[in-house]
Amino acid sequence: MSSCHQEADDLQQLRRRQRRRWGQSHDGPVIALAGNPNVGKSTIFNHLTGLHVTTAHYPGTTVEVAIGSARLDGRVATVVDLPGSYGLGAASDDQLAARRALLETRPDIVIVILDASNLARNLYLTLELLDLGLPVVVALNLIDEAGRSGIQTNVKRLSEALGVPVIPTVAHRGQGVRALLAVALQEAASPDGAGNGRGRGHGLHHGRGGRRWQHRRGRQPPAPDYGVEVEAQADGSLAALEATKHEWAPEGLSARGLLLLLLERDEEMWALARGSPAGQEALQHVEALEQQLGRMLRQPPALVIAGARHGLAASIAANCQRRMPLGRRLRDQLWRYATATATGIPIALAVLAGLFAFLYYVGNFLSIQFDRLWSASASPVLDAVTRFLLPGQAADVLLWGIDAGINASLAVGIPYVLTFYFLLAVLEDTGYLNAVAFLSDSLMRRVGLHGQALVPLISGAGCNVPAVIGTRVLTSRRERLIASTLVVMTPCSARTAVIMGSAARFVGLAPAVAILGVATLLMAGTGIALNRLLPGRPGELIMEVFPPRRPPLRMIAVKTWFRFKDFVIRATPIVIVGSLVMGLLYETDAIWVFTRPLSPVVEGWLGLPAVAGLALVFGILRKELALQFLVALALIEYGGNVDNLRLFMDPRQIFVFALVTTIYFPCIATATVLGREVGWRSTGAIMALTIGLAVLVGGAANQVLLRV
Amino acid sequence: MTTPAVEEYLAVSFRLQEEGAPLTVAALAQRLSLSHASVSLMVKRLVQEELLERCEGELRLTAEGERRAAEVVRRHRLAERFLFDVLGLAWDDVHDEAGRWEHVLSPAVEERLDGVTGHPDSCPHGHPIPGREAAVAVELHALSSLDAGERAVVVQVRREETSLLRYLASLGLLPGARVLVEQVAPFGGPLLVRLGSARYALGRDMAGQILVRKGAR
Repeated sequence: MSSCHQEADDLQQLRRRQRRRWGQSHDGPVIALAGNPNVGKSTIFNHLTGLHVTTAHYPGTTVEVAIGSARLDGRVATVVDLPGSYGLGAASDDQLAARRALLETRPDIVIVILDASNLARNLYLTLELLDLGLPVVVALNLIDEAGRSGIQTNVKRLSEALGVPVIPTVAHRGQGVRALLAVALQEAASPDGAGNGRGRGHGLHHGRGGRRWQHRRGRQPPAPDYGVEVEAQADGSLAALEATKHEWAPEGLSARGLLLLLLERDEEMWALARGSPAGQEALQHVEALEQQLGRMLRQPPALVIAGARHGLAASIAANCQRRMPLGRRLRDQLWRYATATATGIPIALAVLAGLFAFLYYVGNFLSIQFDRLWSASASPVLDAVTRFLLPGQAADVLLWGIDAGINASLAVGIPYVLTFYFLLAVLEDTGYLNAVAFLSDSLMRRVGLHGQALVPLISGAGCNVPAVIGTRVLTSRRERLIASTLVVMTPCSARTAVIMGSAARFVGLAPAVAILGVATLLMAGTGIALNRLLPGRPGELIMEVFPPRRPPLRMIAVKTWFRFKDFVIRATPIVIVGSLVMGLLYETDAIWVFTRPLSPVVEGWLGLPAVAGLALVFGILRKELALQFLVALALIEYGGNVDNLRLFMDPRQIFVFALVTTIYFPCIATATVLGREVGWRSTGAIMALTIGLAVLVGGAANQVLLRV
Repeated sequence: MTTPAVEEYLAVSFRLQEEGAPLTVAALAQRLSLSHASVSLMVKRLVQEELLERCEGELRLTAEGERRAAEVVRRHRLAERFLFDVLGLAWDDVHDEAGRWEHVLSPAVEERLDGVTGHPDSCPHGHPIPGREAAVAVELHALSSLDAGERAVVVQVRREETSLLRYLASLGLLPGARVLVEQVAPFGGPLLVRLGSARYALGRDMAGQILVRKGAR
């Protein structure tokens, strides 16, 4: 129930935000970009705006909306990149975010980007936008692709059928983008664009004369008939909405648009209407109409509308396109290999192994180079400056923060996160991830997830931080919770480094592999248990699978850079603060206070020396530090040359130490992103779970090994 | 004596069987939003009372169980019809409301409801009302039961959540849509379905909710 209240609160804020936040923060007219996923929307956005982009978060969703500004011949416009979605219903996060952003930013013009090779499906969203009464310009993208598949589009006819300008584009080459912006600006500037102002300039195909739908005054686009409008007119519903909408509805929507949303049982609109007496009155009309229609059509009006909209989209597409049969293309063939079981599974395994190896080798290589560079250049400078400015101990503490802290953040960030984001962008933009999601779905269902969750899990083996962010591709909170828990339990490269540097080096390869095996078993067990314990049902896969495409390198670079920047901005402050606290504890010797309460667990149950317990505490900062600290603390404790662990730990202890390090909660940076993604309470629970498991399994291993 | 809880279990089992979905403790727990433990306790009781039986790792309604379940479902769907047609409740509200009615209607009231609503064949969502099945003109299959290479036309989506229906509609997966099953992943994996020039991967459960008529037309 509480989520309902939450939603109502959000709604109350919607209109306030519609005026306030947006009011001062933009220049010139507002252009919104809408479109289905994977139609080249981001490419057009990047061409329009360059790299000066900010992102906005919409309540109740995990989807971010990018905002930038575009310039043309001295004119400026604000461009809002709505999340890619198939429709504007509140049925999924992407659709909800797209809709909220549309209502909140109240664009002067909406550019809808269509995939010319799949026009009928793409037109559904276009019609939904027109239905809401929003001014629209269509960018017919991917005409080159469509042409190669034998599809020709009559742009003029399409423009006439929709009653709005249509501009053909090839976004990845920048073709048509300037013309698109010019037309959008012109449409945005003409307050009566749909009336007699049409048809001037640029020789573009505006819907002039011969329009199939009723002519309307003002800039309202034409409205098709879905078989519910006549009744709505007759029984006064439309009039009631028209008369009351200014009192309850988001601004900028037509009465017909509201009527359709209400008949489609849109929860957000119903809640808004219920919130005011005028809205309630209008709802009574709509409910009566819904009844009447339901009896007449023997079907819920929502389905009737969806069906009619689809029928219209299909007939427009059929009227405006010609298809020439072509032979099977190479990329279709590739697709078949990638998704067929016999070939697909070996290909997927090879790609995953390649991904892991690339992350491991390239990441490690970069990490070592970075550490070397840092300790050779940045460290001495920071050290000298700090010591010059501050007295002894204060300088030591501060150095923990700015030297060790920044180093820790970048030493994970640059080698592993940046590399991973690059690979992820390549896999995403080629469309290969879809094939893997398709293949792995049945496996993932066992732990209550579906195919799309595989990617974050794999990426967790590189670094948990981007992997947790990657769980956003999942739609329900239940799935995100399970997936992030499993991600956190995936041994990341830092933990693998500890296993390699301790167990593999001093005990043997087989025990090291055993540790990874135990971690995998724990993940599987936790996943199955969570799937049984958490309320709700496992997510169901509904995913469009795109044909493979060769992505432009520029797009991959832009995507990688944005994600990386986001990671650095989020993770760095936390790591620095964490390092400062650790530094303070260490330099003031307060850290040793922890040894006593920890000793029954560390020395008694786990059978480890007391210093190892401290090293585990330090590991929270950054996992590979656990090993480094163990050596450093041991030096202080035992003196002399102890860089060989075997001098103060036996093989059993080294094994248990590596096992515990692998299982318990990864690091502060992960905790931060996890807190943001699933909330702090769940984060606390996940931390407690992993620490509990680590102590339990580590202790059990210790007890077993003591007896054999 | 059949308690409302027992009736609820029977009705859910009936619907699962009707949908062709596996009838298991896990499936019941999901539908009823109850814990695995409490469901398996109740199932044990229903097996003892010979309303459910175990069969090849799954559960099945016995003849008696099915008879009683059909009564509950019939009351539920008649109530829905009445709430929708006569009282004018919204079509996506009637399901929950009827969920309360199904346990309390006496046979006499049930009889009158049937009369008042004009002896309907189906509930407002299009599901047949047990005890009055008109001869089904076409054979319906779950999309998930099709093999790779088969063509079909979507007839109905079983699940009654508006948001799911709207989502599917925005993809074009709504009654009348012509689909081609391109691939079926093994081990209960998803189906790859072609619709126009788009391809969708649909989880097996999801595809089980979509009823189709085989053939291209």
